[in-house]
Amino acid sequence: MNPQLFPIVLSFGVATAAMVMVTPIGTGIAWVQARVPHPLRRAVDVLVLLPIVLPPTVIGFLLVVLFGRQGIFGSQLEAILGVRLIFTPWAAVIASTVAALPVMVKAAQPAFEAIPRELEDVGRSLGLSPIAVFFRVSLPAARRGLLAGMVLAFARAMGEFGGTLMFAGNKPGQTNTMPLELFAAYQAGDDARAFLYVAILVGFAVLVAIAAGRLTPKEGT
Amino acid sequence: MSAPAVEASFSLAAGGFIVTADLALDEGVLVLFGPSGSGKSLSIKALAGLIRPERGRIRVAGTTFFDSDAKVNVPAHKRRIGYVPQMHALFPFRSVAENVAFGLPRRERRADNPTVLALLDELGLSARAKEQPSKLSGGERQRVALARALAVSPKLLLLDEPFSSIDQDGREALGRLLRATLERHKIPAVFVTHDPDEALALGDRLVRFEPGRTSESGLPATLVRRGQPVLVTATLDGAARPLDGGRAQVSLAGAVVEGPADLLSPHEGNRLVLELRTRPRNKR
Repeated sequence: MNPQLFPIVLSFGVATAAMVMVTPIGTGIAWVQARVPHPLRRAVDVLVLLPIVLPPTVIGFLLVVLFGRQGIFGSQLEAILGVRLIFTPWAAVIASTVAALPVMVKAAQPAFEAIPRELEDVGRSLGLSPIAVFFRVSLPAARRGLLAGMVLAFARAMGEFGGTLMFAGNKPGQTNTMPLELFAAYQAGDDARAFLYVAILVGFAVLVAIAAGRLTPKEGT
Repeated sequence: MSAPAVEASFSLAAGGFIVTADLALDEGVLVLFGPSGSGKSLSIKALAGLIRPERGRIRVAGTTFFDSDAKVNVPAHKRRIGYVPQMHALFPFRSVAENVAFGLPRRERRADNPTVLALLDELGLSARAKEQPSKLSGGERQRVALARALAVSPKLLLLDEPFSSIDQDGREALGRLLRATLERHKIPAVFVTHDPDEALALGDRLVRFEPGRTSESGLPATLVRRGQPVLVTATLDGAARPLDGGRAQVSLAGAVVEGPADLLSPHEGNRLVLELRTRPRNKR
């Protein structure tokens, strides 16, 4: 593949994979936080926010500690399944997933909280089990917030840099996503190449902002 | 003889508020009547299984849905009790017909299901079948909510002030429609209201709520009008008997009445006009 095209394709692929992972996990966490009273609510809130407030390099370092070849889980994965994550595109996916998770949760949670309880109560009275109420009432009622969360999570995953650099590295043709390639082009003084990725990332960000703006204000209608 | 529609006696706690309720209905419509915040809505949520009482028993049509002693608590989705809330009754992401079909089994869950079409026709909604709920008036929305609850053939229908956001004319028309529909489908109902006219128009039985508890039950006409003055003209059985402190005692129609002597002096010969106000039995 064209070396200039590869980072674009990789970035969209990584962001898509991250969104696929973030959507069910983030939706589940958001629903539990919005609807299930539990003693760890505040602790979960703090944990979910951590990837936003921590320096990305800290996230990258922690991912290496957990999933590196000598890491707590990484060593087991390699020993048992022969799977090595670090410095692979999957490492970029995991770094992007961690970065995008708070965005998804913070968009989905208020969407669930905004659903009138009566709608879910009516669902139960019509014979829907709690799981059916979640899929047939809560999810469709919160769909705008969830879609906004997915769009924003996709964008956040697309822009992930620090964690990806530390955990996935910047291997041309393997893990060089657009933000990494932009950094590399800037360091090499290749402004034309840098501008290509800047233009794509800015254009994409504008589209995301428009889409998220259209999706979020009508929640609960 | 069929089992009573509702036999319930329970206490529940919600958000620091405690409600103790005794509810009974053989057939027809039971009105839960009382001021806002007295526990009426919490009580029907307990009947529906949406709130778990602390203790007590709930039986609907002969089936025990909750019994704290026997540790029985049938979940809401297995009770087949219809519920029409005050607000936010319809699923905004479904059309009118899809809302009505919502509770049907998967294979029957179609907007053109004969049950759905019949209910839409019965409640005057056929022309609105494909509309989104946001396009409907308040009265239309509540009719759709009623149709949706009836579509699953509930054993009991619970209505929580369903007409509260509708103007007076609309309320009366909806009330008549509701009564007729319930009679046609032979479904007993529990109806929450704080409106005396609505209670009189819809109820066969009435339970009066005071904050946190049910105080009495009986015929709506008796209980709703309780507290309103009744003028009684009675003939004294004999002369007034003077008591100490300017008070007197008279006997009329076998009843002994005691009060200030000047108020108990007869008018028009030996006739006395009294204004009576009834009170709940447990209040003196």
